[in-house]
Amino acid sequence: MSLRLILDLIARLALWLLLAPLLPGIINKVKAWVAGRRGPPVLQLYYDLARLWQKHAVLSTLASPGFVIGPAVAWVALAGAALLMPLGPAGSALSFRGDMLLLIYLLALARFCTAWAAMETGSAFEGMGAAREVSFAVLAEATLITALLALCVQTESTSLVTMLAPAAGAGAVLLAAGLFTVLLAENCRVPFDDPNTHLELTMIHEAMVLDHSGPPLAVILHGAALKLLLFSLFLTEAVLPLGQLSTLAATGALVGGVLAVTVGVGLVESLLARLAFRRVPLLLTTAFLLCLFALLMAWKGGAE
Amino acid sequence: MPGLFLLVAATGLGASIAFGPRCARLWLGLTLVGTAAALTAALGVLTGTPEWTWRSGFLVGGEALYFRLDGLSAWFLVLVSVVGGLGAVYSREYWSDAHNPASAPRGRAWWSALVLSMGLVLLCSNGLHFLIAWEIFALAAYFLITLDRAQRAVRTAGWVYLAASHAGTVCLFAFFGLLAAHTGGWELGPLRDPGELKPLFWLALAGFGVKAGLFPLHIWLPSAHANAPSHVSAIMSGVAIKMGIYGIIRFSGWLPVPATAGWVVMGLGAVSAVLGIAFALAQNDLKRLLAYCSVENIGIILVGLGAALLGRAQGNAAWGRLALAGALLHVWNHGAFKSLLFFGAGSVVQATGTREMSRLGGLWRALPWTTALFALGVLAVCGLPPLNGFVSEWLVYLGLFDAATQRAASVWAALPAAILLAMAGAMALAGFAKAAAVVFLGAPRTQAAERAQECGGLMRSPMLVLAGGCVILGLAPMLFWPTLARAVGSWNPNWTAGAAPAPLTALSAAQIAVALLAGGAGVWLWRKVRGNGLRRALTWDCGYAGPTARMQYTSASFAGIVTGWFGWLLQPERQLRRPRGPLPAAASEFVRVPETVLERVLGPVGTCVMRVSETALRLQQGRLQAYILYVLAGLIAMGMLVLLGGQP
Amino acid sequence: MSEYINLLIGIAMGLNLLALGSSRLPTLIMAVALQGMALGLMPLLMETEADWRLVLVALATVAGKGLLIPTLLRKAMRAAHIDREVEPFIGFVPSLLLGAGGTIAAVALARSLPLLPEHSGSLLVPGSLASVFTGFVLLIGRAKAISQVCGYLILENGIYLFGLLLIHYTPLMVEAGILLDVTVGVFIIGIIVDRIQRAFDSLDTRKLTALRE
Repeated sequence: MSLRLILDLIARLALWLLLAPLLPGIINKVKAWVAGRRGPPVLQLYYDLARLWQKHAVLSTLASPGFVIGPAVAWVALAGAALLMPLGPAGSALSFRGDMLLLIYLLALARFCTAWAAMETGSAFEGMGAAREVSFAVLAEATLITALLALCVQTESTSLVTMLAPAAGAGAVLLAAGLFTVLLAENCRVPFDDPNTHLELTMIHEAMVLDHSGPPLAVILHGAALKLLLFSLFLTEAVLPLGQLSTLAATGALVGGVLAVTVGVGLVESLLARLAFRRVPLLLTTAFLLCLFALLMAWKGGAE
Repeated sequence: MPGLFLLVAATGLGASIAFGPRCARLWLGLTLVGTAAALTAALGVLTGTPEWTWRSGFLVGGEALYFRLDGLSAWFLVLVSVVGGLGAVYSREYWSDAHNPASAPRGRAWWSALVLSMGLVLLCSNGLHFLIAWEIFALAAYFLITLDRAQRAVRTAGWVYLAASHAGTVCLFAFFGLLAAHTGGWELGPLRDPGELKPLFWLALAGFGVKAGLFPLHIWLPSAHANAPSHVSAIMSGVAIKMGIYGIIRFSGWLPVPATAGWVVMGLGAVSAVLGIAFALAQNDLKRLLAYCSVENIGIILVGLGAALLGRAQGNAAWGRLALAGALLHVWNHGAFKSLLFFGAGSVVQATGTREMSRLGGLWRALPWTTALFALGVLAVCGLPPLNGFVSEWLVYLGLFDAATQRAASVWAALPAAILLAMAGAMALAGFAKAAAVVFLGAPRTQAAERAQECGGLMRSPMLVLAGGCVILGLAPMLFWPTLARAVGSWNPNWTAGAAPAPLTALSAAQIAVALLAGGAGVWLWRKVRGNGLRRALTWDCGYAGPTARMQYTSASFAGIVTGWFGWLLQPERQLRRPRGPLPAAASEFVRVPETVLERVLGPVGTCVMRVSETALRLQQGRLQAYILYVLAGLIAMGMLVLLGGQP
Repeated sequence: MSEYINLLIGIAMGLNLLALGSSRLPTLIMAVALQGMALGLMPLLMETEADWRLVLVALATVAGKGLLIPTLLRKAMRAAHIDREVEPFIGFVPSLLLGAGGTIAAVALARSLPLLPEHSGSLLVPGSLASVFTGFVLLIGRAKAISQVCGYLILENGIYLFGLLLIHYTPLMVEAGILLDVTVGVFIIGIIVDRIQRAFDSLDTRKLTALRE
């Protein structure tokens, strides 16, 4: 039994690790397609990771070992959060009441470790990025908890497997919009952050990792890809009624949903400009209100 | 059996008060024996020995002594004895005779008195004796806060503490007096029947709330905790404010409470959590930051307690039990990590001589142990897995989520509370990322920070013990469930039986896995980096060639975004001198966040009262003739009153 | 049928929030226009049999509130060279939170009102209260005259929604009259806006406190 659990976990982990770097590649392809360019290959991130993993690293003279350990812990936290996510028809390997809170707090652990590693260098830019990351996360976390509450109230359960199986009910559209906004904010995509900008003053996540190189940078990039996949999966499973479909249909819907979300991110990134920083709280508050109204609709739907 | 240990504890601590000023070693030994005996007694009651009561014929103040140690008081006694003992060890190096020849002997005696009086507060089951012990506790804390009396800030902080504490005690006098008048005796115990006692809960909430430091009543807390010596801050923040929580929990368990009590307590808790951490985020003083964070954690505890009150009122729902378990566990957890953090802050203060974060930085090189232990405490206080803070917050959250999913009537309290707790959690992360990073990482901002020296073994070992506690409570919470269930059961007997209503074993498996993998991955990546070859170079900083320590992000700039959102509350005072002209002179920006409630609300009110009093003072001239005039005026006035009002 | 009505009102409530959160005047005007159109369609859905007068009034409402008035406002904006930025007294995030709180309070309040059983499940009353509240927030919290006009229009939409409760008892001519009033009102405001612009070189209502000869 326990051996099966371990094998299951290893299989899931392998799936996550292998598939995650695909998503940024797809986004970049969509952006290139919209702009009429050929763009980098879809597998570009895999090549980058392999190359970075072999490189030697340059560390700031000010940095403690925490500069390297931080990204490693952040990666473990993200991978742990990923393993808690149920995979549609395959269910979840480790599921218990309240696991969604562990997931949220593992994401917080990853955030803390990244911010810690960023502050190691004493660079003003990295401090700026870290400050923005942890500040905007306040609103993003409130939004996520509200979304979870909406799902919990809708399904009258408190574990991810049962929460994510049925559809999100009447408020599905609101919830989807709210979660998509949080996805963009938490993964530092346009309109919150521009992953391709060259101006450090306007960056969030990229500013935090300016000083990283070699294997730690590889770990950070892979962790970011994991997080993007995690949020896309969460959004898809929260909205689609995967539990009511047959295995094949559910798998198809899951893959299709994740792809749709990824393409959506790419389109948003091609068509929108980055927001001014003072407008970011407004957008996140909107996302929060969307989830809040989804929660209230879930509550009202069940009461009648 | 617990009686014997408690006798040993009382004797040990009593003797240590007597020997404290003269013989430091003997004092330490006696204090440790006393706290160890108290710990044994408390753990005994928590792990199965029946509740201990002892009634003596000996009268104090006309009342027979009556002691009781049940699950709830034992739960708090564990915290008192652990931090009491560890703080004593810490103070031997931190506040030693060599550095503070004048105040150290006095401090030892007051320390023992504080620990003893807190123990007595927990044991006394007679209202009168409770009040006496409470007063000794308040005074001992005052003398400990003002150990370093030479500084003006310390004296002010002490006065504010004393005044606030006594304002709370007035409420408690009224509470116990009215209680005694209603029940006909001072003895305390479970009282269910009389509904007319319900309004007394508000008095208890106000009186104990001042000590606990819940939001609008927290005015004394930041300055007292910041200006006290760090071992005193540790016990004040980790333990003493929990006495207020103990009072609220104790008397909400024993007495009937109003129907709205749960709503109010939960609301106050949620507000304390968010606003406390908002203030913490804005601080530049490391110990003030920690102090405000205590307000946040008290808020989390109160949210749990409020949910428990609501759950009990709605047919002893299981989610109420979960929330109360979370609240009680958070009492221990906060005691452990907050004491650890204050000990760490003490180590920083000793090494550098300043608490101001903008004068620190890069301390990890000089203080590796303190940095590692402080970082662990920070992870715990942010409620991050796999440490203990997460477990208790998780239990509270789970209680709230269950209340929401079961569509209980209290859902309108549970939903906002859960969302506000999430915000407070993320803000705590921001605040402590700032504190840890600005103090310990980057480059030293001043000479003092550069020349810092690591603390010695006597300061390090208590921190190690507390860090170990944080780890064990985090990784193996199910080991503590039986004791926790006992404490919960003595609050509400209907919640005694039954297994853990939360999957603690699964959680602990996940926590252990995260801990092991995180450690493994860290080591592995470090070795990989070393194996690939690593080069040290100047921080890149986008190509700037000569970065200096002063170019680092400061604590105010780090917190700027979130404190901007709370500007309506924080009202920061800014002094900005912009650089002007082609060859600008020195420019500076100075930001200070006042204690809004104290300085913007209570201050003006106090000034107003003083002004009125000053006007009245003009009447008092010291001239005999004037007084005779007053007497005459008074006589005439009374005569008029009789003449006009006395007629039928 | 009532589902579609609730959907429309839900959209109108969402547009309230959009109006509160938008920092650009064109977006604000668009929100008001869309809300007017959504509400204009309501009588068609509420009545089971299609009456030609009803259809006429609904079409007139849609055209008036959705096309005519917004066009007028846009024209006024362009003619008076008004900057497209909305200037808030109450910040966007606080007004958004206020609006959301008002919407939730409206839903809660509507439950405790003694309504006819046929209206108890519908969002008509909460939607109406929320719109009136949003209108007031906009009127109080925005500096420019144009955004105040938008606030007034949203307020009027709220009153219109409330009037729909009485659709069986109110002659449609009264509705049509109200519509005419509003249109004329906006015409007049458009003219006043132009005059203010000429007299003060600004449309900032803050400056109207300084009276001129």
